[in-house]
Amino acid sequence: MIRVWLLRLYRDFKGDILALPGRTLACLAVLALFIAPLFIRDTYILRIITLTAVYAVFAASWDLLSGYVGQLNLGHALFFGVAAYTSAMLNLHLGLPPVLTIPLGALAAVMAGLVVGIPCLRLKGQYLSLATLAFPIILKGLVYLFKEYTGGELGISGISRLAGSRLVECYIALALGAVLCFLIWKITDSNLGLIFHAIREDEITARASGINTTAYKLLAFCLSGLFAGIAGGFFAHYMRLAGPFTLDVLLSFQAIIWTIFGGITTIYGSVAGVIILFPLMEILRAFPEIRMLLFAAVIVIVLRFMPEGVVPWFLDRVEKECPRCKERNAFTRTRCRVCRVSLSEREVRARTTTRA
Amino acid sequence: MKTRWAVAAALILLCLGAALVAGCAREEAEESRVIKIGVAGPMQFVHGQHHWLGAEMAAEEINAAGGIKVGDEYYLVELVKIDTNELLSVEDATNAVERALAQDNIDLLVGTIRTEAAVAIQELMMDNEKIFITCGASLKQMADKVGQDYERYKYWFRVTPLNGELLARASLILLQYVGQVMKEDLGLEAPKVAVVCEEAAAGDALAAAAQQVIPSFGMELVGIWRPSPQATDMTAELTAIRGAGAQIIYTYLSSAAGVTYAKQWGELQIPAASVGINVESQAMGFMEATDNYGDFECSLNTYALVEITEKTVDWYNRFTERAGEFPTYNAGTYDAINIYREAVERAGTLETDAVIAELEQTRHTSAAGVQVFDENHDVIWGPGYATAVGTQWQNGELKCVWPYNWEGITYPGTVRYQIPPWVAEALQ
Repeated sequence: MIRVWLLRLYRDFKGDILALPGRTLACLAVLALFIAPLFIRDTYILRIITLTAVYAVFAASWDLLSGYVGQLNLGHALFFGVAAYTSAMLNLHLGLPPVLTIPLGALAAVMAGLVVGIPCLRLKGQYLSLATLAFPIILKGLVYLFKEYTGGELGISGISRLAGSRLVECYIALALGAVLCFLIWKITDSNLGLIFHAIREDEITARASGINTTAYKLLAFCLSGLFAGIAGGFFAHYMRLAGPFTLDVLLSFQAIIWTIFGGITTIYGSVAGVIILFPLMEILRAFPEIRMLLFAAVIVIVLRFMPEGVVPWFLDRVEKECPRCKERNAFTRTRCRVCRVSLSEREVRARTTTRA
Repeated sequence: MKTRWAVAAALILLCLGAALVAGCAREEAEESRVIKIGVAGPMQFVHGQHHWLGAEMAAEEINAAGGIKVGDEYYLVELVKIDTNELLSVEDATNAVERALAQDNIDLLVGTIRTEAAVAIQELMMDNEKIFITCGASLKQMADKVGQDYERYKYWFRVTPLNGELLARASLILLQYVGQVMKEDLGLEAPKVAVVCEEAAAGDALAAAAQQVIPSFGMELVGIWRPSPQATDMTAELTAIRGAGAQIIYTYLSSAAGVTYAKQWGELQIPAASVGINVESQAMGFMEATDNYGDFECSLNTYALVEITEKTVDWYNRFTERAGEFPTYNAGTYDAINIYREAVERAGTLETDAVIAELEQTRHTSAAGVQVFDENHDVIWGPGYATAVGTQWQNGELKCVWPYNWEGITYPGTVRYQIPPWVAEALQ
């Protein structure tokens, strides 16, 4: 029984992962990320890996809402900040452990998703974006107003650490990051993802097809809030601080930059964007005076030549799409791995000309 | 014959190898006789530049004198520049410090300015059990933590500035002094005071303290105004203050709004003397930034060109010459490193607990006064210790105006506070 199951697993792995260079590379990257900390004693590198995992979830959650559903959210830090503050307050005032405060923080972020989603449902395009941008700014104002609870501009500090060592914290972040990003990707790959696509492409047609677009958009806000909220709660416990900076406009824009750089509406693109850009900012510390300039230059140059983002550009070069069944194949293949149709451009062109 | 050559070659190789090993070992031993000090601050801003310049001056002096004496050995000081970018990103600041801890193996950290970042860095340093001397953030709660959980927070100390509570007290005493001058020179019985404190945590504390204390000074409080730290226009506040009949404005402005305020105060000729804390007025470029309208602005300061101690004038001049700027409280990194040097030399070891025990016994005469730590490792304020000073721009020159016969103290070189001429004219 186990042998059969393992055999099937191997066959699926070979057929679905090893057959495609992009997936093989992603698999290797995840594997490397999980193995590397075992050999790293440098707490700084462990910190960068940890924060990369946290921000990967944050960026992917933005992609889910803005990339898939087309609800351009310029205030995504709201979810992050709400969860960070909720987790910090519950931990500090009620003494709840991180294992409870992080899910509760994420729940608060879901509520925030509802609060933002309901009034914003009537808005579209730039009006929606401006409205979403306003929410974290409003919350920041409230943070300053109720400083006896929120700590005002100083934030809430002294909250519990996630674990006793940086290594354990790193592994928790990696595991959480891998599971949550996979979950977000599965959501977008499911029927729900198809509905999200439909709403983004043509909301009126989607509604005419019987899709309750209002409910689905609200669901997207809540799901996005949930994942960003888990990242926010984790971040607060990792930094041992929840401050107004968790609601910064800059943080919202970072999610957008990471996602667009990696490739919007892909999920894996946003994750790759974080994996490339977040450590890059650290590497650029070698040039402190021109650090931001170099960072901006890298983004501009890359997007000039890869306007769809780094990952789609790369995949277009290492993978080919079958003209008949639309399945993806490794660039080395001459025939589609599913329908056996020739992938040679010359043959495809010749076939099209004959038919014509 | 061949054997002999082989033996000779083997001997030569052995000698070369031994020399190489010895050389490496010596180099390693010499390299290890270095104390690495991290200087953390936003290096692209004036705050971080002062952190770095202060530290650089201290390191150069110590190394020129042979280094820090630990037992019978001398250790050179090596500075590690940590650009925290903390004014823009708290997370970036903690990453930078973690990098310095893990990769540069710093033994001590000095600096930081933004309170939110300083709190996060404090936690990080305590996790790593490394000494952290703050020179920039004034939050009192950072010191309170030492009292609440000594074992965890014993590695933290503060040299500059005074904590928020003490800053409030000192600036209110400065207000009292200016009030006294107004009473004497203009014959005012109970000067009317308007409070302008920017919307910030420190501003809240100062506004509350001012509200309580001002009546006990024999003055009358006419109102409290709370502009945004990002304010680019304060005409409304200043016009209202004029309307309220204020004769003195007590300020707390730590941001660039201080320039806007001072410029418009002078431009509108508000008939009220301005005194309190205006961090921007501590800068050399203040007069230029305010188009000379900031003249007669008076603010609490850490350093001034007077003999606070015998070291002040020389150090102040050297810093100004080097930086092209007056030293701000961030330049306290100079004192922090020297305090650490003294503690290590007294302890005769680099062992952290022994150094902390000696740091607690510190009595260091610096350019800012005599620096002694209280039981919470915060610098003590008061006569005989670090007092802070009041500085006023008088005809384009920054002069020290306080302490002026306060608790028997007048630092040589201090001049009397001058009432702005348009204020004197309006109130006479």
